[in-house]
Amino acid sequence: MSNSTSGLEAIRDVLGTNGYIDTMPELDAYQNEWRGLWKGQCDLVAKPNSVEQVSKVLAICYEHGIPVVPQGGNTGLVGGGVPKSGIVLSTERLNKVREIDPVNFTISCDSGCVLADIQTQAENVDRLFPLSLGAEGSCRIGGNLSTNAGGVQVLRYGNARDLVLGLEAVLPDGRIWDGMRGLRKDNTGYDLKHLFIGAEGTLGIITGAVLKLFPKPRQKETCIVAFRSVENCIALFTRMNAQAGDALTAYEAMNQLSVEMPVKHGQGIRDPFEKPYPWYALMELTSPRDGTDLREALESVLGQAFEDDIVIDGVIAESGAQRDDFWRIREMIPECQAPEGASIKNDVSIPISRVSEFINRAHEAVEKVVPGIRFVSFGHIGDGNFHYNLSQPLGADRAAFLAKWHDITDPINEIVHALNGSFSAEHGIGQLKRNELLRYRSGVEIDLMKSVKAALDPNGIMNPGKIFNS
Amino acid sequence: MKVLVAVKRVVDYNVKIRVNADQTAVETANVKMSMNPFDEIAVEEGIRLKEAGKADELVVVSVGPVQAQETIRTALAMGADRGILVETDVQVEPLAVAKCLKALVEKEAPDLVIVGKQAIDDDSNQTGQMLSALLGWSQGTFASNLDLGDGTLKVTREVDGGLETVALKMPAIVTTDLRLNEPRYASLPNIMKAKKKPIDVTNPGDLGVDVTPRLTVVKVEEPTKRQAGVIVADVAQLVDKLRNEAKVI
Repeated sequence: MSNSTSGLEAIRDVLGTNGYIDTMPELDAYQNEWRGLWKGQCDLVAKPNSVEQVSKVLAICYEHGIPVVPQGGNTGLVGGGVPKSGIVLSTERLNKVREIDPVNFTISCDSGCVLADIQTQAENVDRLFPLSLGAEGSCRIGGNLSTNAGGVQVLRYGNARDLVLGLEAVLPDGRIWDGMRGLRKDNTGYDLKHLFIGAEGTLGIITGAVLKLFPKPRQKETCIVAFRSVENCIALFTRMNAQAGDALTAYEAMNQLSVEMPVKHGQGIRDPFEKPYPWYALMELTSPRDGTDLREALESVLGQAFEDDIVIDGVIAESGAQRDDFWRIREMIPECQAPEGASIKNDVSIPISRVSEFINRAHEAVEKVVPGIRFVSFGHIGDGNFHYNLSQPLGADRAAFLAKWHDITDPINEIVHALNGSFSAEHGIGQLKRNELLRYRSGVEIDLMKSVKAALDPNGIMNPGKIFNS
Repeated sequence: MKVLVAVKRVVDYNVKIRVNADQTAVETANVKMSMNPFDEIAVEEGIRLKEAGKADELVVVSVGPVQAQETIRTALAMGADRGILVETDVQVEPLAVAKCLKALVEKEAPDLVIVGKQAIDDDSNQTGQMLSALLGWSQGTFASNLDLGDGTLKVTREVDGGLETVALKMPAIVTTDLRLNEPRYASLPNIMKAKKKPIDVTNPGDLGVDVTPRLTVVKVEEPTKRQAGVIVADVAQLVDKLRNEAKVI
């Protein structure tokens, strides 16, 4: 029996018959990326149901040199959860909320809790867990933390990293680090939790977290406004930010095509306007106070912007159902790109003041590479994060378009770099952006990262081939 | 032709309903309120009749607290011409609303009254029918289509067996069902315009209507929680559970 075979046997013994998968076709859902961009391979999917089981499985893998790919909801966009060999460790059975403390404004949970379930639990005690993104119905909090997910409310509440007070992680050798402290102030040496957050499972496996809760908004005003240009879209953001401040929780820009696609392909989605406009913004204001002051503030700023010809049309949600309609448009964009053929996604961030310059320069550069390419540009413009997605030209060959991936993304990344932006705002590195990391981050930065990796995962079993090439 | 539409301010459809502490009513303090969705459909139908040139004026009425003006304002932003609030802090029952509407119909003399088939808070499904009886007007309830001809109105109704079409003599009352139309969003320019549209405020007393509740609420409680299901291992266990636990076979 080979080293790895005996290791797998030991893992099966630890987990019991319901605790693993090692046959097709069930393996497939864990081996492959959901859009079909990466196909992977693994010998087994471990589904531990306790931290102790995670610890035992990792200790076995450490001893036998079996690669471990941690996986939550498998909703990542850069191939970070796709295995090349070894095992996938799925957190799906680590799905209990351990404690919810409305007085301390915290929730402690296992890392396999689905994001939407955490939101609901918080809501049940009149609190808000603000992390919110398109995949929230299936992504799991461990994955959100491992990738330092962003989403639609970063503008007001920060990234996943900003929402964590305490963490529990299992190290590659099986040791459990219990840092489940729900403290807002805790200056006691290196802040280790931040090593694991955003590490994409390359340093250990997050098994639990203490998360921050916020007061639940009582007023919520949501609208979609239309603009002639991206410049005006940013001008309104600036005004709104200056006048509404903390109340402005989301500001999502969408170009014409990124609204047309969900309207065309998304079930039950309708165009909020009678005619198309070049740019739109989905904007939301919230406040924990009672009353109608937000609506008045919103109407006042929008009214003025309308008179100043910055905004040319708009719709304001008059009910929760209409608010859901508006958000559905935004959330369905990535999915509704699929029926339009191949797409290349660029998750970049740029200083807000330079977003329009970026768009103009990138459009020009990309048009040269693939004439007729379609720009599906949208994103959390309020925090400078832009999803500069590109759909293949109508009727073009899918494979031929995808073959130009780097010809298209390289000039975009160059422009992003020139404008002091980032080539990966919220999706991470995974397998997709390893070369960009080497290209755009300094030698010192890479050395530091590699030292951390070597110190925590000396055998290199944790999610190998992600972030770095080896 | 003049159309009158009634709208009710209710707890928003997306809000999770809670019973208040003393179990006398549903909690409405600090809860988002919106226009009853069936009434939105009624407003939309009125606007479409106007846009089709079949109606000249669309008047929106609400019976309720001062905040119901916001609901009327929403209807005005969708495209109604003016509003009337019958202001009262009493929890009005369908008969009281129907009587208020009757008084306004006599004053405003519309040719057609459109109301939602029911409000999603109390689910009474009575106001339209009561108004029809009080006025002696014809009624077309649960409408999924309206076809307005010369002096007649064909209403397609959603009934258990399928669709039924009735021809009504005008003036008439119509109550709306879900599939009648898809209400539009209130656009920014129209929201601004709506601020200048008039809302008259009156009250039940001025209309000669006594809105004192005739029903006494004994107790309000949440439905019993549904037990979680179990997955049975095989047919034998299923049959056993049906026979010995559920006692249905």
